Amino acid sequence: MKHYLDLIPISAKQHRKQNRMTRLCIVLAVFLVTVIFGMADMEMRSQMIQAVQSDGSWHAGFLMNEEQGALLKERPEVEHAARYGVLNYYLRDGYQIAGTETVIAGLDQELLEMFPAAEIVEGTFPENDEEAVLNESAKTRLKVQVGDSFDMTTPQGETKRYDITGITKDTALEAEHDAFGVILNTEGFSALRSEETEAAQEVIYYVKFRSFCSIQKGIREICEQFGLGQGEVRQNAKVLMLMFQSGDTYMMQFYLVAAILAALVVIAGIFMITASMNSNIARRTEFFGMMRCLGATGKQVTRFVRREALNWCKSAVPAGVAAGILVVWILCWMLRFLSPGLFEGLPVFGISFPGVAAGVFVGFITVLLAARSPAKRAAKVSPLTAVSGNAGTVQTVKRTANTRLFKVDTALGVHHASGSKKNFLLITVSFAFSIILFLAFSTAIDFMHHALTPLRPSAPDIYIYKEDYSNQIPSGLDEEIEEYPGVKRAFGRGYAELSMSAEQSRLIAISYNDQQFRWAEDSLIEGSIQDAMDGKGILSVFREGSTLAPGSRVMVSAGGKDQEISVTGILGDVPYNYGAGGDTEGTAGMIICSEEMFRELTGEDGYAVLDVQLDQDASDAQVSEIRRAMEQACGSGAAFSDKRIGNREVKGAGYSMSLFLYGFLAVIALIGFFNIINNIGMSVSARMKEYGAMRAIGMSVRQLDRMIVGEAMTYTVFGVGFGCVIGLPLNRVLFQSLVTSRWGDEWSIPAGELLVIVVIMLVSVCLAVIGPAKQIKKMSVADTLNRE
Amino acid sequence: MENLCKVYGSGEARVDALKHVSFSMQKGEFAAVVGASGSGKSTLLNCIGGLDEADTGKVFLNGRDVFAMEENERTIFRRQNIGFIFQSFHLIPELNVEQNIIFPLLLDYKKPKRERVDEILEVLGLADRRKHLPGQLSGGQQQRVAIGRALITRPILVLADEPTGNLDSQSSRDVMDLLCKASRHYQQTVLMITHNMSLTSLADRVFEVTDGELSELGGVLD
Repeated sequence: MKHYLDLIPISAKQHRKQNRMTRLCIVLAVFLVTVIFGMADMEMRSQMIQAVQSDGSWHAGFLMNEEQGALLKERPEVEHAARYGVLNYYLRDGYQIAGTETVIAGLDQELLEMFPAAEIVEGTFPENDEEAVLNESAKTRLKVQVGDSFDMTTPQGETKRYDITGITKDTALEAEHDAFGVILNTEGFSALRSEETEAAQEVIYYVKFRSFCSIQKGIREICEQFGLGQGEVRQNAKVLMLMFQSGDTYMMQFYLVAAILAALVVIAGIFMITASMNSNIARRTEFFGMMRCLGATGKQVTRFVRREALNWCKSAVPAGVAAGILVVWILCWMLRFLSPGLFEGLPVFGISFPGVAAGVFVGFITVLLAARSPAKRAAKVSPLTAVSGNAGTVQTVKRTANTRLFKVDTALGVHHASGSKKNFLLITVSFAFSIILFLAFSTAIDFMHHALTPLRPSAPDIYIYKEDYSNQIPSGLDEEIEEYPGVKRAFGRGYAELSMSAEQSRLIAISYNDQQFRWAEDSLIEGSIQDAMDGKGILSVFREGSTLAPGSRVMVSAGGKDQEISVTGILGDVPYNYGAGGDTEGTAGMIICSEEMFRELTGEDGYAVLDVQLDQDASDAQVSEIRRAMEQACGSGAAFSDKRIGNREVKGAGYSMSLFLYGFLAVIALIGFFNIINNIGMSVSARMKEYGAMRAIGMSVRQLDRMIVGEAMTYTVFGVGFGCVIGLPLNRVLFQSLVTSRWGDEWSIPAGELLVIVVIMLVSVCLAVIGPAKQIKKMSVADTLNRE
Repeated sequence: MENLCKVYGSGEARVDALKHVSFSMQKGEFAAVVGASGSGKSTLLNCIGGLDEADTGKVFLNGRDVFAMEENERTIFRRQNIGFIFQSFHLIPELNVEQNIIFPLLLDYKKPKRERVDEILEVLGLADRRKHLPGQLSGGQQQRVAIGRALITRPILVLADEPTGNLDSQSSRDVMDLLCKASRHYQQTVLMITHNMSLTSLADRVFEVTDGELSELGGVLD
């Protein structure tokens, strides 16, 4: 030992247990902050990957002429600017290749960097106006290769021939509408466009701004310079939002909510550490008083305390950060596992620097700040107090325990919790923070449910439909298709228009099989699904002002035949539109009936739509095979749609957001759990000697257990109360900013969430008592009393 | 006590804290135990009180074998039949004087009799301090509270471990008077450990512990 500070490791060895608990608390707080900031960072990265994949990495698009475009490129904040134009985006203008509607995009090669979805997987970008890139489905169906050529007809009836220089992936839109896609260079596009009249759109300049510049300021300046109106500027809202560069007022509110949540997390961490350090002040005060007695100056004691606290950080902060990183890795791995295609860009062993920085900051700064109070107190201890042995041994209790309200054991437990105001406040607030955080973050779940349209269990991967919605798809085709490899399930729906003689309006009837009825159970508002399944009646689909209430009967006619049907239930909604055009005009509503009843009502046996759900590992070759079989069976007038890409995007967005948001909640619950266990553990070990005396006087182990339960419950009850007082209004404010302002839903008390967190806290209390109870049971009364 | 033995450690670190200790005391007797530090006095007291278990031997109190009882049974037996007084008082800081005194009764979930509490407070000279917390009392007053707590259940045996060790001479005298009163007036058996030979003059019997062996000064062991 060469320096008085060398006493720190020696003293640490003596007080290993209490130090371990303080250290554990620092680890937990740092872990909480690291994991939440790290998860938020990774979630933003994953959302960015998806946003870039589906919408591109551009920041803003400006509708302008070439002269303006040249000036735009010269602006200092513009990193990349590339032209983009599109024709036949809605697939109804008549640009066709071999009779199939074709989307034509004209762009500068530079633009491909901003649109990873349009990546050329084979060949090169067109160099002149007679070259083009085709999408994969066109390549497969036209049976062409790079180097071949194809003809495209324009709405004016002309035919243009292009050489294929490359192949690009299908976009979600092209796959869903079974459309072909052609990419031309800008010269080729202009050449084509000059012949086009109404359908042509002006060229958009897509811009990527340089890093660290204010994008909103840049956009404003560009608009002013070129006199562009609101309709001539578009922003990549999702990407800008994820870059914290959105100027949208809703997004500003969103950022504010994120800032509040981040602040809450940091405060929770600070409270956890402060509470734990405050818990062992008494012991430390006595020890430092002894040091003062031996001649240490107040300054030396302060330095000693600070160094000791930093020593805890040396191991606790890296441990907390490491645990946080590990959890983030696990979550990223889960995301990659759940949606391999979409999240390939997410790092497996990525380090979130904002997460690590936040964890380290909270760890070191809080520990140093929290150490100030015991350090000051220790420095103030007079040597005389230390000599008398009273420093810390007789606690400064100002209030008597209330033995009238509770039995003595419980009363003492309650008093242990509430005796020291500062300690009580710190621990209660740290408990309350679990509730506040849980309630605050649960609004993000509500937001997620609104923001994401979940993929329904009935959503098909591919489907074929009669363009006129006639029921001419053979009724046995579903069973036939189910036999194909790669098919998980196939099911059809018949569509028919029935006339309601009483109201002189139309009613759309859709047929369901048993499986479809089972899926519909979730949206049943009233009545019985089973009766409709058994063919006893129909289900009506909810519509404002509809007269089709359960129990009512309705007279319908189809094919000149009048029939009376009864309504057995109401469904909230169905994922299908009102026939070919989705036209609701003149319809009294939609009804769902069994296939058998559909046949009775309409006399038709086939389907208008046949949906197919694929196995997860279904290959493209298998899909082509299924498609061929379906097209063959359906004959002409049938259209095919492939929704796999779109589904994958929806699923991916859902996975990533739910994984991270539920992850947040799980971490918060876990932290609440550990916080309770740690605080109770610390409180018990700090009072072990007192418990020893009580045992000597005749207090039984069970009574001591009750005392600890009393203490834990006091923290919990007040923590829950305080948490609700702050958490519920906060939940309301956040809900109103995130959900009400956008979707109009009214706030209500989140009883479910509250119940979950309260149950978690109560379970934590039960578990928190087990450890100390065992410790007390094993305690040697004589040894405890003799220990100084 | 019959043939009580207690050993700590093993090998070179082995310490025989108690070596075949046997003795008995009558109801109302006041005995003092003296001995050097580390001689085994406190171990003896802890074993008699059932706070510690001896390796061999038996302790009988009113004919009941203390070591033969289950842990919970022994705790309840201790609280109803043995009163403890410690050198460092071990009062419960959250309870006031009155609550500390009646604490063993509260542990039995019994309602203490008002007269009994008043009587004890009067005897202890703490009637005007009944609502004070231990932190507001002097050392002597705290020890008097501890004595009150030890006597409230009218135990058969009162065990006092250096009850005057932390007190000034006046307070020490007060404490000794109270212990004598407990023995003489209430017929309670008192066994007190002390370093102060002058205090032994008040005791009926004096024992000395030397290296774990017990001998009676000025008398013969049973």
